[in-house]
Amino acid sequence: MSEDRGERRPRPRGGRRPRRKVCTFCVDKIEFIDYKDVNRLRRFTNERGKILPRRMSGNCAKHQRQLSEAIKRARAIALMPYTVD
Amino acid sequence: MNRYEMIYIIDTDLEETARKELIEKVSALITNNGGEIEKVDETWGKRRLAYAIDYKTEGWYVLVTFQAPVELPRELERNLQINESVLRYLVVKLVEKRSAVKPRANKPAPMEAPADEAAPAEEAPVAEEAPAEEAAPAEEAPAAEETPADAE
Repeated sequence: MSEDRGERRPRPRGGRRPRRKVCTFCVDKIEFIDYKDVNRLRRFTNERGKILPRRMSGNCAKHQRQLSEAIKRARAIALMPYTVD
Repeated sequence: MNRYEMIYIIDTDLEETARKELIEKVSALITNNGGEIEKVDETWGKRRLAYAIDYKTEGWYVLVTFQAPVELPRELERNLQINESVLRYLVVKLVEKRSAVKPRANKPAPMEAPADEAAPAEEAPVAEEAPAEEAAPAEEAPAAEETPADAE
């Protein structure tokens, strides 16, 4: 019993745990995500134009918030699509 | 006074002289209401819209950075709303922090201009930032390995 306590997330047997992603904005030391930087923003949307969730992009909460704001601004000014199909 | 950035899209059906006039008019609107224009950037020019607005697939983008009292953006938006040649507009308050790093180092040529122009205005914060940046690499050598990889 006491041995179990230390291990928080028991690894599923045989399954490979995916490597923890790091926030690309933190790595690049970006303080402010610009809504005009469409090329960068586009990497965080899927092919339908939807914003990727944090579990896919690996962004930290702070940057994910900024990112979603930036994408929404870019959409408003027709730099990015709301939907693609 | 706050720093704002405004971007608006002009109908491409508008002739060049009329377009110049409109840009002048918008600029005059800012200065006449106690604002101070830092830069009018037309380098974006004609661009494909991500989606059709009023069945138009292209628009002429104009980017303006200015300082203004807090009441001005509302007045500005009201006027842009009235003008039928303006397809869209967006006024955004600029965050002071942004000068810490150049976010748009690897951008395509037409977008480069605004980044370069924005730099001189905020030289002071950059200068303060610089010594700290230089000190950092000595401490965190492993971190340096990660950055070039991502820059590509």
